[in-house]
Amino acid sequence: MSSVLSLKHVTKRFGGLTAVGDVSFNIEEGEIFGLIGPNGAGKTTIFNLITAIYSITEGEIFFYNKKLEKLKPFQIANIGITRTFQNIRLFKKLSTYDNVLTACHKAADYGLLDTIIRFGKFKKQEKELNDKTAELLKLMGLWEYKDMVASNLPYGLQRKLEIARALALDPKLLLLDEPAAGMNPEETIQLMELIREIRDKFNLTVLIIEHHMDLIMGVCDRIFVLNFGIPLAQGTPMEIQGDKRVIEAYLGKVEGNYAEGK
Amino acid sequence: MSWVYISGILILSGINMLTVLGLSLLTGFTGLFSFGHAGFMAIGAYISATMTMRMGMPFIPALLIGGFAAMLAGLLIGKLTLNLKGDYFCIATLGFGEAIRLILDNIQFFGGARGLANIPTEGTTTLTSVVLINVVAITFLVFIIKSRHGRNMVAIREEEMASQVIGIDVFKYKLMSLAISALYAGVAGGLLAHYLGYIQPIMFKMVKSTELTIIVIFGGLGSVSGSVIGALLLTFLPEILRSFYDWRLVVYGAAVILIMITRPQGLMGGKEISLKGIFNFIKKFINKNKDKEEVKS
Amino acid sequence: MTGGYKLSYFLQQIINGLSIGSVYALMAVGYSLVYSIMNFSNFAHGGVIMIGAYIGYFCLTMLKVPFFIAFIISALGAGLLAVSMERIVYRPLRKRNAPFLYFIISAMGASIFLENIVIASPIGPTFRTYPPIFSTTPIMLGSVALGRIDLLMFIISAISLAALMYIIEKTKIGLSIRATSYSIKGSTLMGVNVDQVIFIIFIMGGILAGIAGMLFGMKYTVYPQIGNITTKSFIAAVFGGLGSLPGAVFGSILLGIIETMTSGYLSSQYRDLIAFALLIFVLVVKPTGLMGKSTEDKA
Repeated sequence: MSSVLSLKHVTKRFGGLTAVGDVSFNIEEGEIFGLIGPNGAGKTTIFNLITAIYSITEGEIFFYNKKLEKLKPFQIANIGITRTFQNIRLFKKLSTYDNVLTACHKAADYGLLDTIIRFGKFKKQEKELNDKTAELLKLMGLWEYKDMVASNLPYGLQRKLEIARALALDPKLLLLDEPAAGMNPEETIQLMELIREIRDKFNLTVLIIEHHMDLIMGVCDRIFVLNFGIPLAQGTPMEIQGDKRVIEAYLGKVEGNYAEGK
Repeated sequence: MSWVYISGILILSGINMLTVLGLSLLTGFTGLFSFGHAGFMAIGAYISATMTMRMGMPFIPALLIGGFAAMLAGLLIGKLTLNLKGDYFCIATLGFGEAIRLILDNIQFFGGARGLANIPTEGTTTLTSVVLINVVAITFLVFIIKSRHGRNMVAIREEEMASQVIGIDVFKYKLMSLAISALYAGVAGGLLAHYLGYIQPIMFKMVKSTELTIIVIFGGLGSVSGSVIGALLLTFLPEILRSFYDWRLVVYGAAVILIMITRPQGLMGGKEISLKGIFNFIKKFINKNKDKEEVKS
Repeated sequence: MTGGYKLSYFLQQIINGLSIGSVYALMAVGYSLVYSIMNFSNFAHGGVIMIGAYIGYFCLTMLKVPFFIAFIISALGAGLLAVSMERIVYRPLRKRNAPFLYFIISAMGASIFLENIVIASPIGPTFRTYPPIFSTTPIMLGSVALGRIDLLMFIISAISLAALMYIIEKTKIGLSIRATSYSIKGSTLMGVNVDQVIFIIFIMGGILAGIAGMLFGMKYTVYPQIGNITTKSFIAAVFGGLGSLPGAVFGSILLGIIETMTSGYLSSQYRDLIAFALLIFVLVVKPTGLMGKSTEDKA
C-alpha cells in the first residue's frame, strides 16, 4: 500500500501564533481520510499548506514519496492534488458548464497559434474537453443545470459543482473542505454516496474536513483529530468516537457517549 | 461635413479601437487595470516611424516591428510586476507610461520634446488599412477568447485563487494578455504616427491611457462588441459635438463614477452582440409596451 | 570646487530634498491612510491636492485674507472635498461590497473629473503664481542658503505629521483607526463605527492634501495637472511600504533627497525618471517596501 500523502512534523506559524503544530499523518491509496476538530483548529490551514497557498514553517509534506517544496499552487494542482473551498469559490458569473469546461484545460495542450488556425488539433481537443465536461456533469447530476449561472444554483448543487470542477483535473488526491456545510440530512447522505462513488470510479484518495459527524463517521476509513493546531487523536471512526479526549475537546468535560448527542 | 472629415474620424476611432481591443483582453477579460497603455502606443509609434523614415522599410513590416517592440516592453514590465498584488501592477503601469514619455522627451534621436515629423502618410494609414487591421484584430481576439486560453483568463478575473487551484498558471496568462494588449497598442501607435504624419511625447500622456481604460469600462468588461461600439461612440461623439470637446473629459470622469455605482457591467453587460440578442431585445421592448397598453385600457 | 563649497552644495541638496520630501510625505501619508484601511489606491487624492492649491490661491488673491487664514481655509476645503468624494463615490461601492477594482476605476474617474472641470471652467488651464508672501531672501546658515518657503514647507509638514501621529497613536479615534486597518470585520465586532473611522481618515487625508497643495502651489505654480504629483507620493508610499504611515514618511523624505541629489549632481532632466527607476527597483527587490507588512491571502 503506497502512501499517497505524508505529513511529517508539519508546523505553521503566523508571527507568534502557531496555527498548526507538529502534525504528522499518512494517507494510504484509496482511503477516505477525515480531518476533524473544533473551529479554528487549523484544518483549513493544513489544506492551504498542502496546496502551497501557505508556506510551511517547519516539517515536510510528501506526495507519493516526493517532497513538496518550492511549488506554486497551480503546480500542486498539476501533479494531481485538487481541492474545494470552505467558502465556495466557484466562477460565480459563469455557467455551470463553463465552470467545469474551464477546469478541463489541462487535458488539452494546444497553443496560441492553434487557436488562430483553428483546424485539426484545436478542433479535436476542444471536442475532447467538451465531451469530458458533459460526462462529468452527467455523473454529478448537474447536466440539467448546465446553462444556469453558477451563483444561481441551489447551495447544495454549488458544492457539488465545486467537486465536479476539482475532478476535471483527473486528480489522484482530492481535498474536500466542509463539503456538507449547509446541507440537510438527506443531502448529506447523498453526498456520502457520491464521495464513495467518485472514489471508486476515479481511483481517488480523499481527504475531508467536516463538522457533520454522520458524514465523517459514515464515510471515512480513518480520522485525524486536531485541536488548537495540535494533534489530538488518530484512528478508525469507532476508535475516535470512543476517545475521551476527543469528546472533551468538542463538548468540554461532559459525561456520556458522543455518538448520541449531536 | 465632408467625406474627408468623416473618414478622418473613422480612422481615429479605428486606431482607438485597436488599442481598446487589446486593452479589453487585459482589463475586460483578465481583470488587470493598466494606466500606462499610451506608453505602448508611443513605443509602437516611434519605432515604426523610425523604420519607415530612417530605414526605408515598407509600411506593414514597420507596423509589426513597432508592435513587437511594444510587446517586448510589455513582457518586461509584466515579468517585473505581475506576481505582485493588483495595486502594485496599476502603479507600475502608471509609472511605465510616464517614464516612456519622459524618456522620449529626452532622447534626441527621437526628436526630444519636438518629436518626429514628416512621417510618410501616403499609402500608409488609410481607412482601408485601418479597417482591415481591425477586422484581423477582432478575429484574433475572438478566437483567443473562445479557447481554453481565453477561458483561463476569465477564470483569473473571476477567482484568482480558484484558478490557481485548478492548475492555471496565473502568471503566464496574465503575462500573455499583457503582451497581446501591448502588441495591439503598439500597432495602433504606428497607425497613428502614419496618419498624423508627426508624433510628440506629449500625445501619449497619462490622460490618453485613462481615456482608453474608460472606453473599455463603458463598453463593458468582458465584451468585444462593447469595446468596438465604445471606441466608435466615444471617438465620434466628442469630435462631432465640437463645443462639447472641452467638457468631454469632465463628462467621462463623471460617467465612469456613475457607471461603477449604477451599472458596472457597462453598455453590453459582458455579453456580445448577436442576432438572437437583438431579437430578444426587440421582443422584450414590444411586450413591455403591450403591457402598458393593457393597463391603460 | 573647493572642499567647503562642495560640502555646502551637498548640504544644500539635502535641505532641498528634505523640504520637497516633507511635502511628498504629507501626500503619501494621506494616501497610505486610505490604503491601510480600505485596501485600495485612492487615485483621486491628486485632485484634492490640486483643489487645495487653488483654494489657497483664490483666498489670497481674491479674498485677500491673511496667509494663515487662507491656509486654514484651503486645508478645511480640501478635507471637505475628500469627505464628499467618499460619500458620493466610495460609500455606495462599499455598501455593495464591490470588488476593489471598482474603487480604483471610480477614483480614476473622480480624478479626471476634478482635473478637467477646472480646465473647462472659467478658471481655465493657465498657470497661476501665488502672490509673494514671504521674502525671497534666503536665510543663511553658514554658506548654506535656506529658502524661506522651503523652511516653511518643512516646518508645516513636520507639525502636521506630528499632529497626525499623535492622533493615531495616542487618541481613542486613533485606536479605532489602527484596529480597522487590521480587520474591518473584527473592529466592527469590537464596536468600532467603521463609517466614522473612514470619515475621519478621509478628512485627515484631505486636510493634509490641502496643506500639501497650498505649499506646493506656493513653491512652484498652480495648474490643473498639479495632481499628477501624487504619482511621486504613490512611489514614495510603495517605497516606504504600502499601508505603513512611518514608511510613507520615510519613503517620501528619501525620495525627495534622492531626487534633488539627482537633479543637483546629474541633471534635472533625470529627476523624474529616477523616481520611476526607484519604483521598479522596489517592486523587483522588495515589493513590500522598507517597512511594509507582507500578508498571505487566506483561502
